[in-house]
Amino acid sequence: MKQKFLTLVTAFALVASGAVARAADTVKIGLMAPLTGSWASEGQGMKKIVELLAEQQNAKGGVLGKQIEVVVEDDGGDPRTASLAAQRLTTRGVAAVVGTYGSSVTEASQAIYDEAKIPQIANGSTAIRLTEKGFEHFFRTAPRDDEQGRMAAQTIEKLGFKKAAILHDSTSYAKGLADEANALLKKKGTEVVFFDALTPKENDYTAILTKLKGAGPDVVLFTGYYPEAGLLLKQKKGMNWSVPFIGGDATNNVDLVKIAGKAAEGFYFLSPPQPQDLDTADAKAFLTAYQKKYNELPPSIWAVLAGDGFRVAVAGIVGAKSTDGDKIANYLHKDLKHYPGLSGQISFDAKGDREGEVYRVYKVDGEGKFVLQKL
Amino acid sequence: MSRAHLAVAGLAAALLAVAPLFLNAYQVDVLNSIGLYALLALSLNLILGEAGLFNMGHAAFYAMGAYTAAILNTRYQIPILWTLPASGAVAGAFALLVARPVVHLRGDYLMIVTIGVGEIVRIALVNDVFGITGGANGIFGIGRPKLLGFTIRQPQEFFYLIWGFVAVTIFLFLRLKRSRFGRALNYLREDVVAAEGSGINTDYYKLAAFGLGAAWAGMAGTLFAAKMTIISPESFSFWESVVLFMIVILGGAGSIAGVLLASFLVVGLPELFRELAGARMLVFGLVMMVMMVFRPQGLLPARERF
Repeated sequence: MKQKFLTLVTAFALVASGAVARAADTVKIGLMAPLTGSWASEGQGMKKIVELLAEQQNAKGGVLGKQIEVVVEDDGGDPRTASLAAQRLTTRGVAAVVGTYGSSVTEASQAIYDEAKIPQIANGSTAIRLTEKGFEHFFRTAPRDDEQGRMAAQTIEKLGFKKAAILHDSTSYAKGLADEANALLKKKGTEVVFFDALTPKENDYTAILTKLKGAGPDVVLFTGYYPEAGLLLKQKKGMNWSVPFIGGDATNNVDLVKIAGKAAEGFYFLSPPQPQDLDTADAKAFLTAYQKKYNELPPSIWAVLAGDGFRVAVAGIVGAKSTDGDKIANYLHKDLKHYPGLSGQISFDAKGDREGEVYRVYKVDGEGKFVLQKL
Repeated sequence: MSRAHLAVAGLAAALLAVAPLFLNAYQVDVLNSIGLYALLALSLNLILGEAGLFNMGHAAFYAMGAYTAAILNTRYQIPILWTLPASGAVAGAFALLVARPVVHLRGDYLMIVTIGVGEIVRIALVNDVFGITGGANGIFGIGRPKLLGFTIRQPQEFFYLIWGFVAVTIFLFLRLKRSRFGRALNYLREDVVAAEGSGINTDYYKLAAFGLGAAWAGMAGTLFAAKMTIISPESFSFWESVVLFMIVILGGAGSIAGVLLASFLVVGLPELFRELAGARMLVFGLVMMVMMVFRPQGLLPARERF
């Protein structure tokens, strides 16, 4: 019995270690993604996109005259597994690492890559603090959480509103966004006539709507989530009040239209673009290739941002003419400007944050579809 | 313990002690992970293995310890290793508080309650309870541990901290196992009614096992926080409790050597299977099933000694 069991375990161990591919002379780029765990669909999308891009790049001759090899590690969407994945990637000779999705998961790996002097380009980590720690080798293609507040203030200004009301729901995300937008609007000279919170998960918001109406705003910015946004829109229509509403990216959900029905028409919200709304010719060609290979669309914009991370890493290696981490990081900080990524132009500031706009403005049309707006 | 057993244990300890000299940073870090799980599983073994109390919410006590250490360190700048007693005390006190009303429940009923406790703690952490847990993002910027003026930073250095703690734990738990207290817990596991009949205060011993096991898990939480420098609710999910439960049952409930071996397998195998990428947890599950079929009593079951 014992013998049999030991044989089995040994067999498995052999299979596992035998699978190590010995590729000759390649440039290795690491991908750390949640292939298992609750974010697995994001992780699988990241892997598919990066592998397809690597294939395309290799068909064009690779980088520095060598083929690219993508080394994928599973971070399980959990900080402990991520720190192990990061340790493992650092011992496998990768020139740069793309990933990962969650902010706390990324944070658990940052110091490890920085100590190993390997540039890391995160794709789904939006927490502000990640780039406030002075890591020289950390970059991200995702927007920061405070970027949305800036975009909200800018949108209100561009649409020509003079008196804004801000409504949040006291969650740390919504309150943070509301505070950010409030400070920026005041600085730009837009009057904020109302700033308060509603209680989430209630069924009747007419009281707070009446209060809002009394303040007489041109526009209402609601930073909370889609269920409340849907109810607000519906009850606002019931009151025959036609002031436009703008929502944050937490209102980007088809259930909004299910709750609000016809009243959702004309609702604006901010969100990173959906993969199918990416508008450059390059992005369109890539999406076609992706659909042809995998017969589906990428799961979300975050997976596409991993693809951008990969392209930036390649551009860094080409630009630095080296796989040395310090040289790549230096090139990405200083010399990579307006690089044409799938999600728009990419440049990095001194902290490693992405410069330029990732957020877009969407508007709900008469049929309840989300239509990208050009402002 | 026979001479042969002592020799095997000594050899394993010696091999482990020199391992960091031959392994790379990643492999040492896997050993660190195994050490942390071994600590947690040993603490659960006290509750589940020795006293036979079905606790499937052990991650809650682990989380309590980790968050206590992180909050004390980041808010009050208390050196992280100094928070060990506080983490242990908070986790232990919390365990006593939640276990007091439910400890008389039998087997599966107790298990359901502990699953509930584990989920409540996790959800409370996500919801930033009292505004001190940092919500879904967790707590970051936890200081590196310092020992006698030396800052512990590299995986190799953590290896000795973690496995040193494991060694102390094994020594203490072996002493405990052979004491009057340890025997009382074993009576509880075998037959509660008979134990009560022989004059054992069952509620007292059950609570003591819970409190001590939880306190130890709390201290393991401190080491985890110190190693990661960031903690977030994902690290304390229901799955962690299941994994710990699995380690104890797989190793052989009540057997320290079995729990250590199972920690190596349960934490080490998914790392060995990394090459299989997305399918690695599938293969891992299969291996676990095969082991359970061939060794239902556990890998190294505790020997009878009555």
